[in-house]
Amino acid sequence: MSTYVYGITAAAHPALPEGLGGVGDPPMPVRVLKEGDLAAVVSDAPEGLRPKRRELLAHQNVLAEAGAGGCVLPMRFGSVAPEDSAVTGVLAERAEHYQERLRALDGKVEYNVKATHIEEAVLHHVMAGSPELRALAEANRKAGGGSYEQKLQLGEMVAAAVKAQEAEDAGVVQQALEPLAAAVGQGPESTGWLANVSFLVDRDSAARFAEAVDELRQAHPHLDVRLNGPLPPYSFVEPGPSEPAETITGE
Amino acid sequence: MTVVPAQQSGGGGGSSGLYDVLELVLDRGLVIDAFVRVSLVGIEILKIDVRVVVASVDTYLRFAEACNRLDLESGPNKSPGLPEIVGEVTESGARGKSKGALSGAAETISDAFKQSRDDGSAERESRPRARKTAASRRKEEQE
Repeated sequence: MSTYVYGITAAAHPALPEGLGGVGDPPMPVRVLKEGDLAAVVSDAPEGLRPKRRELLAHQNVLAEAGAGGCVLPMRFGSVAPEDSAVTGVLAERAEHYQERLRALDGKVEYNVKATHIEEAVLHHVMAGSPELRALAEANRKAGGGSYEQKLQLGEMVAAAVKAQEAEDAGVVQQALEPLAAAVGQGPESTGWLANVSFLVDRDSAARFAEAVDELRQAHPHLDVRLNGPLPPYSFVEPGPSEPAETITGE
Repeated sequence: MTVVPAQQSGGGGGSSGLYDVLELVLDRGLVIDAFVRVSLVGIEILKIDVRVVVASVDTYLRFAEACNRLDLESGPNKSPGLPEIVGEVTESGARGKSKGALSGAAETISDAFKQSRDDGSAERESRPRARKTAASRRKEEQE
């Protein structure tokens, strides 16, 4: 039976709640494997595990429960070891590294901030900032909307202005929140956000961080800013960018 | 007894929080070479590249029409997308269209999840399907 791994924590970590269920249907019982000063939160890996919504939620939930008791290094979703002894073997082999990470992340949580533009508001913003765009829009309006070419010309200029605004606002978001964080990690790109940034925040400063996000929203009403957290420190478990592990190809 | 830290979500509540951090659960976190990873082929759809502003004729025309309707007197703080601003301009359907650009991506992802729940997993081919769903919904809203 292969072993699903949720995260790595200190062996001194408080016990998990009784009957905590993990991935699988029915949920596999979550257990703890200890090796020296470290422990791994694991369960049996269900046959044919797929990245379904409920499995992702189960992974998240186990990490949230474990994280409530102290620092946990979260595994990426779907990490499966051939057996328990392979897990304890890795803990023994890389003990120093994991202990260093646990110390570095102790008392800290991840907050993820995503921002998009509210379309009408950002259009308003760029129009208000450009007499040229306003003049062009006004001319089109007077011409009953303008010809196809005139519309394209206006639209292209507006799109360029909004794009420039996206880049500017990405900087604004990061600069506003960076001073309150111990570390900053860029989220994966290409998911449709103008900013997707994770901040490593001291638990004690979490309230101050949330206030700063509110201030950011008020100062920039054309931004939709979404705050998610506290999360396990997904973006900060490795000191540098990590390579994806070998994947089982779907057959 | 441990207490689960409450998930604070800036936008919607409930499990929408999962969609917002899905890419962290899937693309970040500790990776150990000695372990294998479950195939993520079923969620290729999450990798859709939805730029916030797509440089295309469609976008240009949409922006041009939106700007023609824009009332610069109302001030930037006036909440966008309200019926009184959009008015009865049925031909342009600003609400449906702006939804297409900005929250379309999120909807596509939740569509994928709905499918993923129904079919067991959303395979690669569901990408055009999900897009079509979002597009036809937009169309319905405009009518």
